[in-house]
Amino acid sequence: MTWTIVVGVKQVPDADEVGIDPDTGRLDRASAPAVMNPPDRDALEAALSIKDEVEARVIAITMGPPMATPVLEEAIAMGCDDAVLITDRAFAGSDTWPTSLTLARAAENLEADIVLCGEETTDSSTGQVPPGIAAHNGWAQLTYAEAVEPRPEEGRLVAKRDVEGGHEMVAAELPVVVAVAYGEFEPRPAPLHRKIYAENEFEPVQLTAEDLGIKDEVGLAVSPTSVGGMETVQPVERKGEVVDEIDELADQITEVLS
Amino acid sequence: MSDTNDAGINPDEYEDVWVFIEEHAGEVMPVSWELLEEGKKLTEQTGENLVALAIGEDLEDVAEEALERGADRVLVADDPVFEPYRADPYGAQFRAMVEARKPTIVLIGGTHTGRDFAGRVAVPTHAGLTADVTEIDVDEDGLLQARRPAFGGDILATILCEDHRPQMATIRPGVFEPGDRDENTAVDADAILEVDVVVDESETISEVLERDVGDTADITEAERIVAVGEGVEGDLEPALELAEALDADLAASRAAVDAGWVDGSRQVGQTGKTVRPDLYVAVGISGAIQHVEGMNKSGTVIAINTDANAPIFEHADHGIVGDFADVCPKLAETLATEAVVEVDQ
Repeated sequence: MTWTIVVGVKQVPDADEVGIDPDTGRLDRASAPAVMNPPDRDALEAALSIKDEVEARVIAITMGPPMATPVLEEAIAMGCDDAVLITDRAFAGSDTWPTSLTLARAAENLEADIVLCGEETTDSSTGQVPPGIAAHNGWAQLTYAEAVEPRPEEGRLVAKRDVEGGHEMVAAELPVVVAVAYGEFEPRPAPLHRKIYAENEFEPVQLTAEDLGIKDEVGLAVSPTSVGGMETVQPVERKGEVVDEIDELADQITEVLS
Repeated sequence: MSDTNDAGINPDEYEDVWVFIEEHAGEVMPVSWELLEEGKKLTEQTGENLVALAIGEDLEDVAEEALERGADRVLVADDPVFEPYRADPYGAQFRAMVEARKPTIVLIGGTHTGRDFAGRVAVPTHAGLTADVTEIDVDEDGLLQARRPAFGGDILATILCEDHRPQMATIRPGVFEPGDRDENTAVDADAILEVDVVVDESETISEVLERDVGDTADITEAERIVAVGEGVEGDLEPALELAEALDADLAASRAAVDAGWVDGSRQVGQTGKTVRPDLYVAVGISGAIQHVEGMNKSGTVIAINTDANAPIFEHADHGIVGDFADVCPKLAETLATEAVVEVDQ
């Protein structure tokens, strides 16, 4: 039998390119170029490595406006078989609850055996969406996965999980949602012919909230959390003294520790 | 039920502050006691009960310690199905307890375990769940103000959950101080409540095949830290020498971890751990905001960097411009003659 592996990817502002607005002194995210959330590349690699071992079909999905399509093209170029753009104005204002509901319904819709995600996104860094997908569907989950091993004969996926103070090997029944640990997978380069195909010929499938049957269950109205305010973090006051001699530094340290 | 809001619930039905006590094979994660102390501050304002919640096997000692540390009550779900930890049984049990007892606030340590199962409680109960919180408070109406770093740490965002209950948060380990344990507290056995276990092994959908947990460093407990960054270019020896002279633990910036020089369990910063040692020595660390955020609660910060313009000097009390390979051993030698190591404790 063929496994269906769904990989959730997201377009985010490039964290390395976020500049400071000279007028306000605030971070200017709008001008940063949009890129694929870097941890999602680990998830794509994990999916493709499973496909190297077992018969599988890998489908990238993203939730966002049509201008997020380039992240799907990148996934197709890396080796995904298909890609789905979930797009609808109804999603506006969604926190992690309706976001994970939407991805959960999409995974169900695609008859996923495995859903792979990055550990968290660099723009909101909650890490709540992968467990949220599993919870909405009542599926198993494997988070902080540093390695994955398919066991099709058992109908299970085994992951090496990073836990405080060590590691554990956990086997989960399919379907399962996996959040891979960032930096643990070496994303494969996209071959040139795949890039050309992805950019010139490929068109993602589009799904709306209505297609997924969740038109009234997404967006701001069903989001339990809201942002009450933002404040600039005040730096901790430090002395900022620079000394010339190592002896002076040693004296300062001795004083602190005595 | 005229008191229900737009979300279909009546917030007045919900009361008490719950703190999840995370334990693995009898070992309690330090963040649990940090949260219990912080939860106490909330209940002092709201007049509610502070309830500790433990899930695992053979939890008597853990429950008693929670009372000695100030919990008004302890809810215990004690069963072999919960040991070792798995997301699905934990989530199902915690959810059942929330639905039956309706707490208004639930605080969970933002460990890999806490962040793993919290969604399995918040999703089915449609609770508000805020991740990676570093400051908490309640307003005059008892509404939780959960603050978390956003946009790389330059901004602190306040997240609210106005209409849904409970108000849940995963809280970053190391940002709060644990309270004292009073072992003379007369433990009231009636304050420990064994709850019904709703999970059966036959219903679980995951299995722990192997668990290897032990000697990985817990830098969040360290009193002295020497941390290395990209500037050491893989050469750890000088920093280790300094760490030995100071009886300090080794830590690292994200760049040093990503380069594979230091294990990820020792990473300090937004995507790593928050530390608060008495002394933090930054070696070859530039001082990006994401790193500073994880160490700015340190007592005294020392910077060693070749670049006089590196931001780390603004986040340090004392610094020296110089090559770490030169400075660290000399500093170690000088400190050894001054015998600072024996002074403390």
